[in-house]
Amino acid sequence: MSDTSLALPAEAPARANRRAGLMRSLETWVPRVLTWVLLGFLFVPMLVVIPVAFTDRSYLSMPVDGLSMQHFRALADPSKGWIGSILTSAVIGVVSALSCTALAAAFSIGAWLHAGRWPSLMRVILLSPLIVPPIIYAVGMVRLWSALSLLDTWFGNIIIHVILAMPLAVLAISGALGNLDPAVVRAARSLGARPPMIVTGVILPNLRAGLAASLLLSFIVSWDEITVTLFVTSRNIVTLPRRIWTSINDNVDPAIAAIASLMLLITVLGLLARLLIWDRRGAEKTNHNN
Amino acid sequence: MSHFQRWALALTLPAGALMLAFYVYPILQVLGLSFSEPTPGLGNYAELVTNPAIRRVLWTTVQVTVPTTLITVTLSYIVALAMVQMAPGRRRLAMFLVLVPFWISVLVRAFAWITVLRRRGIVNSTLQDLGLIHKPLALIYNELGVVIGMVHYMMPFAILLLYANLSDIDQSVIRAARSLGARRWMIFSRVWLPLSLPGLLVAALFVVIFSFGFLVTPALLGAGRVLMVAEYISVQISNTLNWGVATALSTSLLVAVGLLVWLATRHPALRAALEGGRK
Repeated sequence: MSDTSLALPAEAPARANRRAGLMRSLETWVPRVLTWVLLGFLFVPMLVVIPVAFTDRSYLSMPVDGLSMQHFRALADPSKGWIGSILTSAVIGVVSALSCTALAAAFSIGAWLHAGRWPSLMRVILLSPLIVPPIIYAVGMVRLWSALSLLDTWFGNIIIHVILAMPLAVLAISGALGNLDPAVVRAARSLGARPPMIVTGVILPNLRAGLAASLLLSFIVSWDEITVTLFVTSRNIVTLPRRIWTSINDNVDPAIAAIASLMLLITVLGLLARLLIWDRRGAEKTNHNN
Repeated sequence: MSHFQRWALALTLPAGALMLAFYVYPILQVLGLSFSEPTPGLGNYAELVTNPAIRRVLWTTVQVTVPTTLITVTLSYIVALAMVQMAPGRRRLAMFLVLVPFWISVLVRAFAWITVLRRRGIVNSTLQDLGLIHKPLALIYNELGVVIGMVHYMMPFAILLLYANLSDIDQSVIRAARSLGARRWMIFSRVWLPLSLPGLLVAALFVVIFSFGFLVTPALLGAGRVLMVAEYISVQISNTLNWGVATALSTSLLVAVGLLVWLATRHPALRAALEGGRK
């Protein structure tokens, strides 16, 4: 650039300006366009399940001669098993979410009241399913559950789901505890409150948001769990992910597109509700994330 | 220890006992079996090194993990950096587009990619209708399809990690650089990039760890043709009942993950980013 400005002193500033302007707009626009293209890459491919769900054919395709509801009707037909799997996943999800939240709340409150070596070591172990690949846990559980005859049972599945959901439950509840002033416990103790009273009367009412987050997150973990489920279920317990997995592998049936569309719809509605509530709160109280 | 402290400690016991009995113990048993099944010794580990099939599986795992990590982290960084600088309204839209794939089941996503990429999928039929290609492209049931599906799976996660990390960077540093006349590229390479390097490495670490042990997406989008460690372990347990090799591979996977996390926590800036990302 300096060469040209030496050679053509009169024209150079204008051209250099123009070139700098072009560079500036490229620097501004290229990342911006790329960002929205990438966001589209994340979101748009999932939308294809919607038209496929309404196909009038019995195989995976776009609608050919018109839209059809037959694949949604197949979901509702008890003989096809989808309803049964949805109920199985719902029951396991609700029981796991309740148990996991109760255990995680007790643990987090105990560790918050009395920080020590055991609680901090246990916290690392409780959070480890976040990092340890689930396939390793699956190998271990096949072995243990077959020794205890718990393969393919409700109880066996619920235990696994509780454990896999534990990290998010602990993070949600201990996050809420982090916002709680330890002075309230000292105040309650100095007023003569017994430990059970402190937990149920003082701490738990302040953790409502964290407990709700824990219930939701652990339900979602359970609802989506597939890796370990593949190894510890067979005929008796067929959760929804297990059924989707089998039908993707066996015959690519458009009913999967119908169930996928419903799951997409629920996720979108849930997130919209959350973002709108978040918005309103954000307007009331700025700088309030998490 | 006071009565109150004992009481608090008792509250931590049920969850702790559950984890020890049904998480730590079965995993320790996996480690133990790798040295004792079928005969005591290091035979299973010797097999991992010498068996050509296993070496191929390990090589495939690396071949998928490396491009997945590089692509995921680069693309996620572009998105996260743009999101930090967006106006609140647009940022909310962008966040929505990231969170929907983040929360939707991995099976739904793999299924959507099958619909898009297969021989008579949307990409191939569109390109053929436009006359751009005559034969369908092989976009799936090979490493390309697995990498596409894995990048799509990891990106929301990496974006959220990087976004949290980039939001922590003091915006006044950026304003100072701008007021001193630094251009966009300069601000990026001299301010954003060095300050966010720990966050980038943590994001890469998580993507590597998740890719190493990933079963679902490689199995569905590779359809047995892209055999990675997790799927190979699963075949050993379900079909060939080769527990020795399955547990030895699991143990190696666990050691590799543990080593990566340990390396990361040794570095102070990485540890800070790791703890920040856990919030």
